[in-house]
Amino acid sequence: MQPVLARSPRLALYLAACLAVGGLLSAAIAGRSGLSVARTAAVVLPLALVFGFVCLSSWYVCRATPLRTSPTAMVAGNIAGSTLFAGALWLALGRAFAWAAARIPGLAGVDRLFSSDAPLLFAVGALVYLLSLAAHYVVLGVDEAQATEQRALEVQLMAREAELKALRAQIEPHFLFNSLNSISALTTADPAGARRMCSLLGEFLRASLKFGARERIPLADELALVQAFFDIERVRFGSRLCFEQAAEDGVRECLVPPLLLQPLAENAVNHGVAERLEGGTVRLHAARAGDMLRIVMENAFDADRPREARRGVGLDNVRRRLATHYGGRATLGVNDEDGRFRVTISLPASREASPP
Amino acid sequence: MTERLRAVIVDDEDLARGVLRECLAAHEDVEIVAECANGFEAVKAVTEMRPQLVFLDIQMPKLDGFEVLELIGRDLAVIFVTAYDEYALRAFEVHAVDYLLKPFSEERLAEALAHARVHLAERATIPVGPLVASARPGGRPVERIVVRDGSRVHVVPVERLDYVEAQDDYVCLHTEGKRLLKEQTMADVEAALDPGRFVRIHRSCILNVERLVRVEPFGRDSRVAILRDGTRLPVSRTGYARLNELLRG
Repeated sequence: MQPVLARSPRLALYLAACLAVGGLLSAAIAGRSGLSVARTAAVVLPLALVFGFVCLSSWYVCRATPLRTSPTAMVAGNIAGSTLFAGALWLALGRAFAWAAARIPGLAGVDRLFSSDAPLLFAVGALVYLLSLAAHYVVLGVDEAQATEQRALEVQLMAREAELKALRAQIEPHFLFNSLNSISALTTADPAGARRMCSLLGEFLRASLKFGARERIPLADELALVQAFFDIERVRFGSRLCFEQAAEDGVRECLVPPLLLQPLAENAVNHGVAERLEGGTVRLHAARAGDMLRIVMENAFDADRPREARRGVGLDNVRRRLATHYGGRATLGVNDEDGRFRVTISLPASREASPP
Repeated sequence: MTERLRAVIVDDEDLARGVLRECLAAHEDVEIVAECANGFEAVKAVTEMRPQLVFLDIQMPKLDGFEVLELIGRDLAVIFVTAYDEYALRAFEVHAVDYLLKPFSEERLAEALAHARVHLAERATIPVGPLVASARPGGRPVERIVVRDGSRVHVVPVERLDYVEAQDDYVCLHTEGKRLLKEQTMADVEAALDPGRFVRIHRSCILNVERLVRVEPFGRDSRVAILRDGTRLPVSRTGYARLNELLRG
């Protein structure tokens, strides 16, 4: 709907503006015809109101021929045609109003208004209408820009949703299958162990589902998730897998995207320790560095395997996810010096509910 | 009563071996002669114990299940046992008797054993070609070459491979001053290696170009490649063209 007609406060404001213009116009032309301003206004004000509505109709002309998608000739033709028509209408309405007003007692002689200077009057009407056309095109342009921006935001939001879903899927199904196989082994050999494994797995899955739905979670919860993951993997790998974690004071309350460390933990096991006959240790360390939170995950690896084989797809996912959440303010670094594969994440340390 | 099947279990997880051991206990005609926690132990056990049946995990450190099969599999029945279903196709390409997905049911295990018995009754021998091809998942170049030397296994990461020479029915892998013989054709080795790094410079020689220092003319119409350690290798005319193409590209 026409943006001014759509809301009554706007319409009132617009009509007031029309009256103001009508008043100014009255003052300007009263002298030329030798009539008083008041008498002139008696004709011009109603005319201004009516013509105000005529100008509003230019919205539909703009809608019919949007600048970006219509051929130039069509836009020009539409503008020229409607402007000429509006100018003529202004002139005709003016003369009719003046003629009618002259019949009212006390307003005799106002029919002199609009009786001469026809080209000038026509030009004034056409110009006002042309201005309204221009204004409407501007409004349409702004609307379109806003809609585009809105769409871009929606797309971004959707992308992020998809990313999160993909990340939740990062909990490797094989991890589950292997865990189930371990439980299958324990049921007869160690029933109590089987029950413990079931509860570990249940807790891990419940927590990852719960946290995965959130935007950010405290690091303490994320660390607990990682610990639960390693508790389960340790049942599988036995003494071949060791896990140590340490968090300095004051970092446990920092907020991080949920399951951020999960792909790193899975990498450390599958591409690191599991590739070694003798197994090894995975270490996780979290500390503050100024206003940044620094998380380091490191593991032993098989030096005989090519470098690419140590990485897995998990790292790229984590990197992308950091970029979505923190833009350029978060970093992920990888190095494999001194026989340890080390991933270092650095992200802004925040405690409040998620910043934008 | 049928003859007892001599079986070996290969899995790097203690519990996974446990499941199999326990389930197989219900099958009186199967005797577990060895349990192995990795591929090296598997090759040794197969050499020494001569089993008819091997339960083989795929994801293991250093030597994966396919590499183990490449080293041992000729006249025994192999049942892969893994949590990964994406290797199933490859497993059948290398003529595995069956493919058990962890966690498996006892019925499924019984079915696999039935397949194994049929297979062994037919005395089918697995051709070596597909085994070699299996070391090349999805057409990607291999990252290491495995060589069996009796019950010992050598794992050669391809970046440590200097050059490969043809030697009758074998290929001779030269790595860090050592020579390892492997029963394989030059064409198979060439196909398995990264073409961006290895080039067939002669009918009887594949070279790791990172070891090359220079190429010198040798006699009429022939050249010789000189390696970092001073080794001299013949370069044929087509080999020289291939080498140039690789170095230029």
